[in-house]
Amino acid sequence: MKTTDIIRRAGRSLRQAKTRTLLTSLAIGVGAFTITLSLAGGQGGREYADAIVRSNTDVRELLVTKESEDANTIAEYTPGGPGAVPSGAGTPGGPFTRGFQFLGTSDLEVMADIENVNGVTPNYSPSVDYITTKGQKKYQASVSTFSPTVSLKYAAGGVEGDLRDDQIILAEDYASTLGFTNPADAIGKTVQIGATKQRTIFSGAEAREFTYTVAGVSSESGLAFRSQGSLLLGESAIKELYIYVSEGTASYNRFLAASVRVNEPEQAEEVKAILEEKGYTAQTSADVLGTVNTFINVLLGILLGFGALAVITSIFGIVNTQYISVLERTQQIGLMKALGMSQTDVGKLFTFEAAWIGFLGGAIGAGLAVVGGSIANPAISEALGLGDISLLIFSPLQVLGVITGLIAISIIAGILPARKASKLDPIEALRTE
Amino acid sequence: MITVKNITKTYGRKQNAFVAIDSASFTIPDATTVAILGKSGSGKSTLMHAMSGLDRPEVGEVVIDGQDILTMKPKEVDRFRATKMSFIFQSFFVQANESCYDNVSLPLEIAKVPWAERKQKVEAALAAVQLLDKKKSRARDLSGGQKQRLAIARAIVNEPQIIFADEPTGNLDSATGAVVEDFLFNYVKERGATLIVVTHDEELANKCDARIDIKDGKISATKGLDRKAKK
Ligand SMILES: Nc1ncnc2c1ncn2[C@@H]1O[C@H](COP(=O)(O)OP(=O)(O)OP(=O)(O)O)[C@@H](O)[C@H]1O
Ligand SMILES: [Mg+2]
Repeated sequence: MKTTDIIRRAGRSLRQAKTRTLLTSLAIGVGAFTITLSLAGGQGGREYADAIVRSNTDVRELLVTKESEDANTIAEYTPGGPGAVPSGAGTPGGPFTRGFQFLGTSDLEVMADIENVNGVTPNYSPSVDYITTKGQKKYQASVSTFSPTVSLKYAAGGVEGDLRDDQIILAEDYASTLGFTNPADAIGKTVQIGATKQRTIFSGAEAREFTYTVAGVSSESGLAFRSQGSLLLGESAIKELYIYVSEGTASYNRFLAASVRVNEPEQAEEVKAILEEKGYTAQTSADVLGTVNTFINVLLGILLGFGALAVITSIFGIVNTQYISVLERTQQIGLMKALGMSQTDVGKLFTFEAAWIGFLGGAIGAGLAVVGGSIANPAISEALGLGDISLLIFSPLQVLGVITGLIAISIIAGILPARKASKLDPIEALRTE
Repeated sequence: MITVKNITKTYGRKQNAFVAIDSASFTIPDATTVAILGKSGSGKSTLMHAMSGLDRPEVGEVVIDGQDILTMKPKEVDRFRATKMSFIFQSFFVQANESCYDNVSLPLEIAKVPWAERKQKVEAALAAVQLLDKKKSRARDLSGGQKQRLAIARAIVNEPQIIFADEPTGNLDSATGAVVEDFLFNYVKERGATLIVVTHDEELANKCDARIDIKDGKISATKGLDRKAKK
């Protein structure tokens, strides 16, 4: 018998037992549904994480810190001593940080000397007091460094390449708080950032206002870390602020972390190894992504486990259904054999029936997952505040893979019943009334 | 020509052994209609199954067109049955859920008849038993006589040389049975095929060229086989 004829006959047999076929395939459908959704969630999650990490970090940048030799003991206090954790309120290093040593100027030099390192920027985090603009109140503010390679979404304006020293990028909510009617309105206007000199904190305040021109208004994106990037300044502008605020304090030129920039993204790993040899801790953007992805993969694994469980259960359903089908059709099998159908072809007939069931279940489950997921996607993004990001990403190849896999599993489940059918003695079979 | 040489079929083992066919030998010439008669349980069906290669007697030969089908590989016997023989059973064995068309097309599919030739053949076979108008009906909706006519259409569609019929009219009343017999004989005469029909019915046996009587597994008498062979 030709394979196409066998497939057609298999399809017809199933259609004649619609309810049973449907119920059996629904069991696989549940597995297909779960697996498809979890794969889509995994894919979406990874892409989401990738996008977050990519837009908040730079593939050519490593974040370098230095752990204390003995991270578990608290270092003794030595005022101004090298590598010691500086104390005192309002120090730029922030609160006492256990387990970390500060990076000094010599550390930065060591890093800069490594081959393929293009630049070292310490994390200046000057504590500024407020931001304001003409005719407006003063608002609390914190500034961070603009990185030209990190993607940013603009509501208005924007810059090509780096920010100039006198430029600033405002987050959308700052723009509206500062009284600009819309983001475009803010472009080209000036804002003032107020900072206090730390050294003089006991001998009478010395404070200054720094003026910047708004170059762009960044819009809220599902990709941006909330805490970061409300107010962005160019690297040298931030350095200027830092020097003004911190110069002369105990913590001046001591940094919690530094960004090391390499020439090419591929060199990141190499430089990381050298840095670690020298006693630093370095994190590439791939590391950050890896951490997030591990978490996603664990979640995905659990979901896939549930899907697999559903599939395993459905295997028994298929075996049972096919056995019943063989028993019911003993006579038909006998007749087909009497008419000269070979054992192999009889076996194939039942194998294809099992395959059809698998295909049907896979298609129904995966189809529902895709349709349901696509409908639910905007709602999920809305609920999780992801903005324009889709958490469920269906790749046609994966869906196809799920269906193919389930067909294969169904065929395996159908082996025993198909064997029974092919081994049936036609005379015996024709005797059953 | 079908030559049966000394076949013996035993069921069970040792003291339970039961000889269903005991050293049966005969020759059926081409284009002959043969009736196999005997009491219930005498071994008629068993003999028919052995002659068609469905069953394998432990001793003997069944030579059809010069080939001993008992020594063939299973695949070859299947092929032989698919292309040269067909069957009609007492209880029809039509596929109730399938259309008449699909019922009749089954032997063509099994014999790998090309797609293009099938439609014409199926329709010709259905027309021969006057069921062409029921082409699309499901077999379950047919009457008993129609079902057996459908079984005849299925048996003749691939133009076999030999048709085995096991009490083809056993489940039908005599009038309906006569109609079914006519269709069967018409085909056999037209095509010069061989018909081997197992029956209790003397009237049906009388329509045949030859007869084989069987009693307790032994051939007790034959009639008409040699005469035709000599011709
Ligand atoms: N599988 C089997 N196992 C044991 N005995 C069997 C088997 N098949 C048939 N027989 C026996 O072989 C004998 C011949 O059976 P067969 O079916 O050939 O009879 P029959 O002449 O066709 O009878 P009927 O007219 O009732 O159909 C019977 O006695 C039957 O009980
Ligand atoms: Mg019988």
